[in-house]
Amino acid sequence: MDSGTLSGIITVAFIVVFIGIVWWAFSTRNKQRFEEDARLPFEDDDDLPAKQGDKQ
Amino acid sequence: MEATTYNYKVVRQFAIMTVVWGIVGMLVGLILASQLIWPDLTFGIEWLSYGRLRPLHTNAVIFAFGGSAMFAVSYYIVQRTCQVRLWAEKLAEFTFWGWTAVIVLAAVTLPLGITTSKEYAELEWPIDLLITVVWVSYALVFFGTIIKRKTKHIYVSNWFFGAYILVIALLHLVNSAELPWILGGSTSAWYKSYSAYAGVQDAMVQWWYGHNAVGFFLTTAFLGMMYYFIPKQAGRPIYSYRLSVVHFWSLNFIYMWAGPHHLQYTALPDWAQSLGMVFSLMLLAPSWGGMMNGIMTLSGAWHKLRTDPILKFMVTALSFYGMSTFEGPMMSIKTVNALSHYTEWTIGHVHSGALGWVAMITIGSMYYLIPRLFGRESMYSTKLIEWHFWFSTIGVVLYIASMWIAGVAQGLMWRAANPDGTLTYSFAQVVATMHPFYGIRLAGGALFFGGMLMMAYNVWQTVRAGRVVNDAPIPQAVHA
Repeated sequence: MDSGTLSGIITVAFIVVFIGIVWWAFSTRNKQRFEEDARLPFEDDDDLPAKQGDKQ
Repeated sequence: MEATTYNYKVVRQFAIMTVVWGIVGMLVGLILASQLIWPDLTFGIEWLSYGRLRPLHTNAVIFAFGGSAMFAVSYYIVQRTCQVRLWAEKLAEFTFWGWTAVIVLAAVTLPLGITTSKEYAELEWPIDLLITVVWVSYALVFFGTIIKRKTKHIYVSNWFFGAYILVIALLHLVNSAELPWILGGSTSAWYKSYSAYAGVQDAMVQWWYGHNAVGFFLTTAFLGMMYYFIPKQAGRPIYSYRLSVVHFWSLNFIYMWAGPHHLQYTALPDWAQSLGMVFSLMLLAPSWGGMMNGIMTLSGAWHKLRTDPILKFMVTALSFYGMSTFEGPMMSIKTVNALSHYTEWTIGHVHSGALGWVAMITIGSMYYLIPRLFGRESMYSTKLIEWHFWFSTIGVVLYIASMWIAGVAQGLMWRAANPDGTLTYSFAQVVATMHPFYGIRLAGGALFFGGMLMMAYNVWQTVRAGRVVNDAPIPQAVHA
């Protein structure tokens, strides 16, 4: 197999993987979990250390 | 015993140094802009000559200012979104002192004229080795913290940081492959080295490195910053988390191959030039997708933009990100590049990204972060942040508008030819035409620098009135 064919195969494989990622990200099955993941920075209700530190 | 608090010390160290190095790097930029107007400004002192200060400026703003900011925010965000204390804290402490040592060594060697002469990779081999050790330590701390996380999911910012850390390691190792002259038997300049590559291969490796330094250092890393601080400052989750996943992977798939656009019309094979152009054009899609995602996070909360200067910084940063990621692909088109390459237009484009996007998202994030690291509700003066915002915005606009006009004029004058084939303009005539634009650029840069001084004062007052926070608790109720 020459390098041109190999590059072609790799390019196609990458495109397939990428389409797979898009399908996975936007499938309705995963809608719920991504909405929960998006809330990760808000897990701690108050992140101003000024208030938290006073409790200790 | 399991830690119950986050490590803010290393975050605080890097955050303060971000402001310090920002001022140093931009001051050198101002000196350079002045030298272009008044060439004898530094009295012919060789250590202060344009050729030696220029790499000092780029290294200081990219690796010292941008690098310190990235260390600070990645250590902060990885702890908070993984809900664990940093892994290997001694190593994290080492990354601070190690990185600072690299910066100081750069500040000494570059004015001395010690350079590999590879753009953005000028530092010589002993410093390259130190960078490698620091970077591997950084990777260990970051991924170690990810591994011991208490949350199930790895937040999108951490994906961007992870890609940035891995790719920068790869770029640095490949591009800095060099032969120290001392191995060739010389003892006169033991620090001198020669690149492992030659000719057009050297150029291609260099711009694969150079462009991906822009792509993964100045873009991917700062997008990670954007995906955390914009939602936090706006008080709502990112507009579309699923778009952020696609944004991440499409950037990774495409960015790697765009480097040849720096070598249009050179000895690089034509197919490689076209490949670089096509991949650069494709980059428009993920770049604008990411920009929209950030800006749309504010939908329904646009009123906050009126009153919150920190949010103004962040959203304006995204606007400049959108502008420069439109301009970049356009400049990579070969016919446009024939006009724009080697002109001031490129300088304008770079600063639209570097000042407009990187610096402004960093400044906004630091204004969010610094009070929290020093036990304060907010910065000392919100009014001063507002002033800083307007100084920065007007400064960037003056800078990029003047350089854009200057660059197009320069390109057109260079290519103008008389009917008999001789050039219409001499080189000196073109230089003279640049003169007023250099003045406007200096004014824009000075405004931006003035804003940084306001920031330094504001940070100083905040830190003075605050106290060091080492006790921000890790939430105990862990969300699955």
